[in-house]
Amino acid sequence: MKAIALYSIKGGVGKTAAAVNLAYLSSRFFPPTLLCDLDPQGASSYYFRISASKKYNSGKFLKGNKKIYSNIKATDFDNLDLLPSDFSYRNLDIELAEEKNPQRKLKKNIEELSNDYQLLFFDSPPNLTLLSESLFAASDIILVPLIPTTLSIRTFMQLKDFFDANKLNSSKIRPFFSMVEKQKKLHRDIINEFRNTPGFLTQTIPYNSEVEKMGLYRAPINAVQPNCPASKAYLHLWEEVTKLTELQG
Amino acid sequence: MRTIPETVYFRTKSTLSPETLAQQILPAGWILTLLSSTKEQQAFYDTFEWHAFEKGVAVQKKERILFLIDINSGQKSASVSFQGNPLSFFSETLPDSLLQTKLCSLSNIRAFSRLCLLNTLTTSYRLLDQNSKTVAIIAVESIQLTGHERYQEEIHLLALTPFKGYEEDTTPIHQSLSSLEAVHSVLNFRELFLLVMKCAKQRVQGYSAKFLTKLHPDATIHESALLLLEHTFSVMLLNKNGIKKNIDSEFLHDYRVALRRTRSIMKLLMGIFNERENQYFLNLFRTLGKRTNDLRDRDVYLLRKKSYCNSLPPNLQPSLIPFFEHIAESRKVFHRRLSRYLSSSDYQVSLNEWEGFLNQQTLPDVERTHQGSRSTKSVALETIKRAWKKLLRRGRQISRETTDTELHALRIDCKKLRYLLEFFASIFQPDAIIPVIRQLKELQENLGAFVDASVQIHFLHQQLELIHSDTLFAASMGGLMVTLFQKKEEARLKFNKTFTSFDHEETSQLFHDLLTGSSL
Ligand SMILES: Nc1ncnc2c1ncn2[C@@H]1O[C@H](COP(=O)(O)OP(=O)(O)OP(=O)(O)O)[C@@H](O)[C@H]1O
Ligand SMILES: [Mg+2]
Repeated sequence: MKAIALYSIKGGVGKTAAAVNLAYLSSRFFPPTLLCDLDPQGASSYYFRISASKKYNSGKFLKGNKKIYSNIKATDFDNLDLLPSDFSYRNLDIELAEEKNPQRKLKKNIEELSNDYQLLFFDSPPNLTLLSESLFAASDIILVPLIPTTLSIRTFMQLKDFFDANKLNSSKIRPFFSMVEKQKKLHRDIINEFRNTPGFLTQTIPYNSEVEKMGLYRAPINAVQPNCPASKAYLHLWEEVTKLTELQG
Repeated sequence: MRTIPETVYFRTKSTLSPETLAQQILPAGWILTLLSSTKEQQAFYDTFEWHAFEKGVAVQKKERILFLIDINSGQKSASVSFQGNPLSFFSETLPDSLLQTKLCSLSNIRAFSRLCLLNTLTTSYRLLDQNSKTVAIIAVESIQLTGHERYQEEIHLLALTPFKGYEEDTTPIHQSLSSLEAVHSVLNFRELFLLVMKCAKQRVQGYSAKFLTKLHPDATIHESALLLLEHTFSVMLLNKNGIKKNIDSEFLHDYRVALRRTRSIMKLLMGIFNERENQYFLNLFRTLGKRTNDLRDRDVYLLRKKSYCNSLPPNLQPSLIPFFEHIAESRKVFHRRLSRYLSSSDYQVSLNEWEGFLNQQTLPDVERTHQGSRSTKSVALETIKRAWKKLLRRGRQISRETTDTELHALRIDCKKLRYLLEFFASIFQPDAIIPVIRQLKELQENLGAFVDASVQIHFLHQQLELIHSDTLFAASMGGLMVTLFQKKEEARLKFNKTFTSFDHEETSQLFHDLLTGSSL
């Protein structure tokens, strides 16, 4: 099983949109796939119309394996399951700090899932905390959506610095440009500037109002509007990601 | 484990309409939306010996896919695409896949035969909760068995499959369905499978090649012998159709084993039945057995096709193609001949005579068949002891050269003892008889390997005489004969060791324990 995180320090950059659609595509090509929603806001869960059962909370999540199993729910799509988040996840950081080896906790908790899923996606909340550190260790790839603006790039550099300062494996970090508006000169310039930077993915996700409608469809855009520009871009992004994860061949 | 929640089947008197369901079972705000409606033929498969069922597996063909299903949980464990609903197929012929590997491990020699053909009409609905999230699939199914002309029973079902994580949410639905008046039973997959088999008039595990007749130690041997013979007779009858329909080679194999057992019961228990009748039927079965030899020989060589090819270098392998084609052709002829005979009135007359003989329930004249009234136990002990001693005596007489003739003869003695142990197995404690059989088996396998190899060498040599000019073919035959000869000589060399370990205190003790009756 490979684990892929959608992560960024900055909010509202398209993490959830990418997680939902990439997980959906993954379930078609490399079934079965699990999407694990780590954001207490539960946006991914919402897109699949799923909410955690009343008995579920961050404590259960921290217990791992068995407790996780019984709270996984099937989405409406074959071979795509979801572990919904709960509002109690907002304290995950604090609770994690009390654990023995918090940086390794997440990795350990998902071990057993590897018998059952080929791919695991994490959708994460926007910040840099102990949970993020645990997430970095648990993930094989960390996909970072970047809106092509100077501010975004600056926060991205912060992430790089954090990795270097903590001697983490920064080759896991794979940024891609998200919500790209080709008509904006600034967007074009930034993309051109970083196009050949090692680690950057070449596929970009255009700004597309269909993505916003996911809140109405409450389903991946790739499932309901597979031909819209964003869906096509997600498909290409997925193909690029599969090459990274050596899923091909 | 990532499991899909179990499907529960509600058996209904007639097809339930979605309106009824919506009115009677759905909570407020929940709805059903049509997912699909399909009409198709489905089928279940298993071998004649129920290899799949025995391992808790159902083999189901539906939606152009062959599925392996865990019979207890209803979970699919493997699948492969599959065309049509053939009467039978071999696991080997399926495309490479997990399913193929699994089926081959159940049996690759026996064909999987169609147990039943079902005409099904399935309408599936998504069950959506108040958030329009699918929480379960509800399928309304009607199943009609084909092929039972006069009375076609129809099974009406409602299948509820909760989505993972929504088992609890659908419990109220489960409950209200169970209490619906239209629902007369709630089944799991296993129960549904058994129901379908019952409607299809299939006796689940109704056949086993194992010899399992239960005898009573105090019953007269006459009575016990009749039980044994009734069993072997039923095996003959049960296998006839499979032979004629040419489903797989094991039907004939089992048929022949039953014949051989029949004859050996009558021979080994000489004196139980009327002498004249005994002789008459022994002759009859010997002739019958002979009629099956040619076909069985061909079967055996065809089964060896792979191993023959694999034991030759690639450049010689093609020369075997015409050889096996020839065998397959002659097999066809012998198959037709035997099938015709099995359908003939001659054969029917013989069977009737035999059945008549078996039905003579009264004990025959004590004067003439004094043996018949003895107890099963005493005859068993005596005959086993005699056969064992004879085997030892003959084995010890075998010369240093261990000639072919000697080994061939000893194999027959071995087999006789083995049959006796099997016939009477049920009157002994399993832990007394099993080790004895195990000891014997080793010797039998050694002798079997020897005889097998000699028979093959002889056959291949004959083939060589038939075809003169083809040098590649001659080389192939030579190659095969060399390998077989090696096997034969290995078996010969091994004989002394196997026999010594059989003719050993330990085995002696095992036989002694068995025969002193302490284990009875
Ligand atoms: N390619 C796109 N085109 C247009 N709108 C988009 C695109 N991607 C995301 N959006 C919209 O932008 C908003 C933020 O996107 P999303 O929720 O995916 O980001 P996020 O990084 O997960 O946010 P957060 O940090 O709050 O979790 C959403 O309303 C979404 O519909
Ligand atoms: Mg988000």
